[in-house]
Amino acid sequence: MKPKIAVLLGGHSLERDISFQSGNRVAAAALALGYRVVSLDVDEHIVSYLREEKPDLCFIALHGRFGEDGAIQGLLEAMGLPYTGSGVLASVLGMDKSLSKDIFLREGIPTPDFIALSTGAVKELGAANVVKDIVARLGLPLVIKPSSQGSAQGVNFVQKEEEITAALLGAFSYGDKVILEKFVRGKEVAVSVLGAERARALPPVEIAPKKGHFDFQAMYTMGATEYFIPARLPDALTKKVQSLALQAHKCLGCRDLSRVDFIVEAKTDTPYVLELNTIPGLTETSLFPMAAAHAGVDFTDLIGKIIEAALKR
Amino acid sequence: MEKYSIMMLYINAPQTIGEQVKDQQSPQEMFFDKWQHLYSDRTESMRSSEVRDLLAVTQRPDIIALAGGAPYTEALNLDKMSRILGEVMKDGPGPLNYGSSEGYEPLRVWLTKFMADEDVACTPDDIVITDGSQQGLELVGKIFLNPGDTIVAEAPSYVGALNAFLSYQADIIQIECDDNGLKVDKVAETLENLKRRGITPRFIYVIPSFQNPSGVTMSLARRKKLVKLARQYNTLIVEDNAYRRLSFEEEPLASIKTLDPDNVVYLGTFSKILSPGLRVGWVVAPRPIREKLIFAKQAADLCSSSLTQRVVTAYFGETDMKTHLKKLIGIYIKRRDKMLNACAEYFPRGVKWTKPKGGFFVWVTLPEYLDTTNMLAKAVEQKVAYVPGKAFFADGTGRNCMRLNYSFMKESDIREGVRRLAEVVEQEMELYRSLKL
Repeated sequence: MKPKIAVLLGGHSLERDISFQSGNRVAAAALALGYRVVSLDVDEHIVSYLREEKPDLCFIALHGRFGEDGAIQGLLEAMGLPYTGSGVLASVLGMDKSLSKDIFLREGIPTPDFIALSTGAVKELGAANVVKDIVARLGLPLVIKPSSQGSAQGVNFVQKEEEITAALLGAFSYGDKVILEKFVRGKEVAVSVLGAERARALPPVEIAPKKGHFDFQAMYTMGATEYFIPARLPDALTKKVQSLALQAHKCLGCRDLSRVDFIVEAKTDTPYVLELNTIPGLTETSLFPMAAAHAGVDFTDLIGKIIEAALKR
Repeated sequence: MEKYSIMMLYINAPQTIGEQVKDQQSPQEMFFDKWQHLYSDRTESMRSSEVRDLLAVTQRPDIIALAGGAPYTEALNLDKMSRILGEVMKDGPGPLNYGSSEGYEPLRVWLTKFMADEDVACTPDDIVITDGSQQGLELVGKIFLNPGDTIVAEAPSYVGALNAFLSYQADIIQIECDDNGLKVDKVAETLENLKRRGITPRFIYVIPSFQNPSGVTMSLARRKKLVKLARQYNTLIVEDNAYRRLSFEEEPLASIKTLDPDNVVYLGTFSKILSPGLRVGWVVAPRPIREKLIFAKQAADLCSSSLTQRVVTAYFGETDMKTHLKKLIGIYIKRRDKMLNACAEYFPRGVKWTKPKGGFFVWVTLPEYLDTTNMLAKAVEQKVAYVPGKAFFADGTGRNCMRLNYSFMKESDIREGVRRLAEVVEQEMELYRSLKL
């Protein structure tokens, strides 16, 4: 009999809806591959659901808090249940930009200069006093965003110093730690890494603003961006971002799948890693499956490879 | 090289007004949409409803959702409803077949009596039945708006109406309200300014009684003045009266339609006083306008549901409206009181809120430095949800406001929900103070 797969989806994060879309598609693919499949909406009863269902493998199709940050991974470790994707440590590192960026820098992977601030530092240590120094170091404009990256919400671009308080307050809504990051102007490129068997980087995807929109603003406006696959980069730069993506995937200890988001600086052609997602979207129209399709791996195959790799562990 | 366009799914409505980007709220997931090059220009101005996008999170049972706008349908006599449904089904082939575009005649006849109670004199031939009043809004947009046309509305205004008009690429000018509703003096100024620029607004859209989202009611004096202004500047009033019958204190003010029957399009609905699931609303309009609405409706859906129109007709055929409303109002008064008391008890200094005398909503205004869209993430963490204020403004202002609903949740949940929310607000204020050294 084929192994039984529990697809974990839904959950309590702000990305619940996307998770259902990813998870339902994963479940359909697993069924098509002949696995026995059960889909579980993750809530406080998940332990009893899993005890009852006794799956051979959990496919984690959760995004954001509790799904991508090591929480569910830790729980499954405790229950002795194998699961897809990165382990606890890599999940924690991937979720927290202040940690992953620090590791990238140590590994020689370029990432924009940044400083992390916690609510504790602000409330108890008067960290607001150093904001001026931070601005002096990073320059303007700068980007303020929640350090935990599950949701891409709460990202604020600051052009003038007086906008900083509102931007910090906004970013702190999504977590107790935020990062202030130097703004790098350039091309936005996402590289997916398929880590099953031997990890390999898929073709980079470029996300570009349409004409008539400012570059970074367009990224956040419906219908204002378009994408190119593969990214419009010279061959050497394509190879460079792919090798950096692989290096990022490996140095955080990721497994099975990840997506590394870059900005390729216009002036210098330097690719900077902005973040790494340990559970990229798997919906019909998400970047990861599209990059895989471009590399000749259709969605069902892709899910099959991830499941097989996880079952072998 | 393959080339696609990208779509982004927003948890928040994107704030694009023309080419001007008002907001940098980020998307949560990128979407490929390979048909992007085929869509009409109209789709660029469509906004996804903040309310709808929130549903995924707020439908979790552990969250106290003060975000909705639904009536408490459990208050209905469900046995009676299912008996009526059974009886209606046996009424020949009619309920399962097409009906006329203007709507089921016995329902339109009954509505003339309902409208007479509001002092609106009309005949069945002045009425078009719509799929809720939302379709009325959509059809009004369809027959009046060319891309770039100007309309005037209240600030804040009903998000569903804004979205309907924005999808026809309207330029919406919103004018502020106070405790007596829309500031009509400001409307006069705006109309005069527009006139100088050679612009005639296509219509003025108002929700005069127990407004969604603010809860306020426009005074009689202002209604009279508004009617005059519309005449003077050669434009039309679109009156959305979804909540008028849910008045908690005295007899509600007469509808604007009574003040100038020939220059007001009246939108009514059974969604708030009976059931939004039945999707039955109506429009009372001057004949030439009604004719255009019928053409537009034929193109939209041919006719409203033959079945649910009969259900509504039969239900109110054997139900005394006064008794029916009294029961609902009794429930909603208690819930409103619960919410207002909780607001007074829990919200910190610096927070203001409206005190509605009817309808479903309380409008809360926080200190200006707070952003309720960002704050929602924290609120959801504390297991309470609301609608961020900016949804109710076409230009993305209202960021420090939020709409709270009291019609749908149990009284004990209302109190606990406001308590959790107040705690979040207090924490945000504290954090702001530490950031503002």
